[in-house]
Amino acid sequence: MSPDIAAGFVAATLPGSLLATAIGAVLGLVVGMIPGMTISTGIIVVLPLTFVLDPTISIGLLLGIYAGGMTGGSYSAILLNIPGTPSASATILDGYPMAQRGEAGRALSVSIVASFAGGMFSFFCLYFIAPSLANLALRFQAPDLFSVVFFGLTVICTFAARSPVKGLLSAVLGLLIVTIGQDPVMGTARFTFGDADMLSGVHFLTALIGLFAIPQLVDNMVELARGRGERRARTRVGSLLLGWADLKAMRAPVAIGAAIGAFLGILPGVGGPIAAFIGYDYSKRWSRDPGRFGKGCVEGIAAPEAANNAVTGGALIPMMTLGIPGDPVTAILIGALLVHGLAPGPLLFMQRGDFAYALIFSFMWANVLTLVISLAGVKVLVKLLAAPKTLLMPAIAILCVVGSYALRNSFFDVWVMLGFGLIGIAMRHLDMPVVPLLLALVLGEQLEEHLRVALTASSGDPTVFFTSPFSALFLVLSVVSVVWAFAAERRGGRLGSAPSA
Amino acid sequence: MRTKNIVAALVLIALGAGYGYLTAGLPTRSLPNTPDPSFFPWIITACLLLLSVILLVQGLAAPRKGSGDSVGAPPLRAPVVFLVAFAAYVAVLPYAGFLLTSVPFFALLMALYGERRWGVIAAASLTVPVVLVLVFRHVFQVPLPKGVLAGILG
Repeated sequence: MSPDIAAGFVAATLPGSLLATAIGAVLGLVVGMIPGMTISTGIIVVLPLTFVLDPTISIGLLLGIYAGGMTGGSYSAILLNIPGTPSASATILDGYPMAQRGEAGRALSVSIVASFAGGMFSFFCLYFIAPSLANLALRFQAPDLFSVVFFGLTVICTFAARSPVKGLLSAVLGLLIVTIGQDPVMGTARFTFGDADMLSGVHFLTALIGLFAIPQLVDNMVELARGRGERRARTRVGSLLLGWADLKAMRAPVAIGAAIGAFLGILPGVGGPIAAFIGYDYSKRWSRDPGRFGKGCVEGIAAPEAANNAVTGGALIPMMTLGIPGDPVTAILIGALLVHGLAPGPLLFMQRGDFAYALIFSFMWANVLTLVISLAGVKVLVKLLAAPKTLLMPAIAILCVVGSYALRNSFFDVWVMLGFGLIGIAMRHLDMPVVPLLLALVLGEQLEEHLRVALTASSGDPTVFFTSPFSALFLVLSVVSVVWAFAAERRGGRLGSAPSA
Repeated sequence: MRTKNIVAALVLIALGAGYGYLTAGLPTRSLPNTPDPSFFPWIITACLLLLSVILLVQGLAAPRKGSGDSVGAPPLRAPVVFLVAFAAYVAVLPYAGFLLTSVPFFALLMALYGERRWGVIAAASLTVPVVLVLVFRHVFQVPLPKGVLAGILG
């Protein structure tokens, strides 16, 4: 065993790290189950707290929220017929009918166990694939790195929006914002209007808080004004016991869902909702009795729950090895790590291998602790479904301000956050996804830097992007994804779902 | 959605034109065989204009009665009050301090989200900001702005 693996395991297993991961799992379960709260918002709320914590403890807390949130989303899907997170949308199909038959406890147990299985499968994928991929990525030159980042960005644009034009426009707006401040190669001030605050550019965590939290606060207000915000929870859960027949019935859908989820998680932009529906669809197709799906069967809960939790580990693979986030949560994780001076990417394994493995093992503990806390506390946790939004939403609003201020002790950042909130509201109104903009904010500087370094090294020869096999492959894949998206739009067959975790 | 797309496209075209104008004013390169600082912004300008024109064409080509246009207008009063109050809160925060501004802001938001029990509003809007100040100051070592209460809070 390499010393990094051992050191990472020990760091992730220290009492402080485990406690933070457990707290994260509880918070994740809570934010995941409350409709109108997303995992991203949950992470945003605790983000300022992580700035002062040790990086391993911080990442344990955040990964706990990530894993817990994915599981928690199914609680309200099963009990209220409302998905707590978009990733739990497919769980409604069979979860709610089971709850209506008085089998809410059994449905919740299936969801919790399948979520754990999916999460652990993706942990093994992360553990075995990430180091090898990082090793491969170390050989990438500037043209390859540009093409990989470009691919990540185009894929998310085409997956995240019903209209690929709007997805691409969202990313271009993000790139435009990234150019504010010093240019990454020469340090020339651009679009700063002589303002010292603008020189350091827009911090993407500030933008992220505004883009995600402010529109959500407004949406919740509109829903409450329409009288649709509060629903009484069916808090009578019943027996949580699963029989041998249930576990046997779960095997195949869990295996299908986990494999699909982990694979789709690796692709930037696909996200939990799509993986859950595809996992559900394939389990139904390959089932001996597909007619039972949709009427409240165990398989119909196991497949999407295994899939959406498997997405989490899958999404961590490109984040850790290439620095490309697979969904909004991994984008936030990149930001949180950058605050600690840790840049996700191939060098992370080489320079801070101990931390890279601590992250991987924290993810494992996040899944284990989510399982334990879910099974032990489900009957208490579901009571929180009745938590009043009248208290929750103002608290989030205040924490948005505190979070954006605490980042650099700057009121300029608070205004930037509010400005991005308005941009987020406008984009939602226009049905334009915010995820490509967010990822462009994360990846934009790298994209420009690799492009300019590659062109400088080749004395301005653009064929350098096609002569390297890696670069050519990713550019071809980028073109294919854009062409496919436009063709699918013309056929009217878009998947059309932003990966909003 | 048709009208929204056309308006959005026109706004984005104007943004692209303005951005292009500012890009034209950026310093030129100082090193041989090295792309200018304006190189990447020019690519963004071109992409922004091209995509905005496609959106405009799609908007103009769409049928007049799109399904998105028929959705009922959301209630606007509370969100507008929320955003105006939020901006006022952020504007006053540096001068009046976190505690003094957050208490009324929290109370207003609770009322906007539909809380009508004044006792609950008073208790929560006093407790939450005070707890936040204490947690950030003593646990996370991040002092929140004290404003005019600086002398009292120390």
